[in-house]
Amino acid sequence: MAATAMEHDGGVEVVTPGELLGTSSSFVAGHGAYADGRSVRASVTGHRRIVPPSPDSPDKRSTVEVVGHKAHGAVPQPGSVVIARVTKVMARVASADIMCVDSKAVKEKFTGMIRQQDVRATEIDKVDMYQSYRPGDIVRALVLSLGDARAYYLSTAKNELGVVSAQSIAGGMLVPTSWTEMQCELTGQIEQRKVAKVE
Amino acid sequence: MESKKPPPSALVDNHVVPGDVILDLADMTNQTIKLGAGLRQDYDTIQATSAGRLRLSKPNKYWVESSQKRYIPSVEDTVLGIVVDTKPDNFLVDIKGPNFAFLPVLSFEGGTRRNIPKFEIGTLIYARVVKANSIMNPELSCMDASGKAAEFGQLKNGYMFDTSTGLSRMLLSSPTCPLLEALGKKLSFEIAVGLNGRVWVNAPSPSNVIVVSTAIIRSESYTQIQQKSMVENLLVKLS
Repeated sequence: MAATAMEHDGGVEVVTPGELLGTSSSFVAGHGAYADGRSVRASVTGHRRIVPPSPDSPDKRSTVEVVGHKAHGAVPQPGSVVIARVTKVMARVASADIMCVDSKAVKEKFTGMIRQQDVRATEIDKVDMYQSYRPGDIVRALVLSLGDARAYYLSTAKNELGVVSAQSIAGGMLVPTSWTEMQCELTGQIEQRKVAKVE
Repeated sequence: MESKKPPPSALVDNHVVPGDVILDLADMTNQTIKLGAGLRQDYDTIQATSAGRLRLSKPNKYWVESSQKRYIPSVEDTVLGIVVDTKPDNFLVDIKGPNFAFLPVLSFEGGTRRNIPKFEIGTLIYARVVKANSIMNPELSCMDASGKAAEFGQLKNGYMFDTSTGLSRMLLSSPTCPLLEALGKKLSFEIAVGLNGRVWVNAPSPSNVIVVSTAIIRSESYTQIQQKSMVENLLVKLS
């Protein structure tokens, strides 16, 4: 049974959890919605949106989803490139707060961990974390996996991954000079980092 | 191009306070100056950030030597630590610094997974600082650079007391300070000095331990002559 009143591509109508979005015979439950027997209901608060079915799928039903909730902000997925700020550096692992995923800012905070063996691709057992990152550095990293309950596992083991922006001990900006060194623009001191090769 | 030797700062071996300008770099070109503790580069000047005496080690290493109760860990220092916790891979050791130090359970001579030492909380350890920087916990070792035990490890019996870092350095200075030399001539004792402001004394008789500890605690900022005369007075009262 096609319900014409509910089939506009929307964004205007606000729905709340539990609210009926349609019947499961006419809609597939997408993000923020779930199928409950014969009805499709919203599971989060947001705006209802209907996505037409892709032409090559056997299922001819439209997908109804609820958008605008922070759960649908950018979420790191394995394989996505993230920008993170290093918060803690320890002997074998560094923690970082993930700020952007694939150039979209996140709506809620995610934590990432860079382990000693994921800092670079060569000589991974001789990595000194103190010469790779310092707290406050901005790094570009790749999400390896969802990790454990506390943090995603990140990796900087590629040329284009690593520290993109950092401050020196004297307080000035650090300018990259090689893939292991950056120089302070105020004092000229050289500091060691795992530097990203930015094109 | 011939590089001139940098002229030493006028303040070497004098007392400095935070803010004092040690060197003006504007009239120096192409020279390397090494800065140790208590000094900071501020654009074209080197300024002191802590109070103490400015020292120079030829040709170009400067640092400020200050004496305080708190210890800032630095690599290759020998320290006396107290075990506060045991973890699967490390002992957590208090060395009077900003944070606890890690002593890996395998950092002992002939250390393997099967013969890990069993240190209780409160054990006194004589160890060497291997890694120390501003962001991570310092790491200790009970071996010297070649892997031998070399007097490192647990200190049993005896008496441990706190001193300032300046007094520890004075006790470890070479040639031997007059205080220890005068005491050693008359009394038999053994002593371990940690650069973190801890001293351990052990002797066959308790009175020797007390005399030595009292003499050390009293000699804070004594000159060499004052040390000798103080020890002589103490020993006269003993006999």
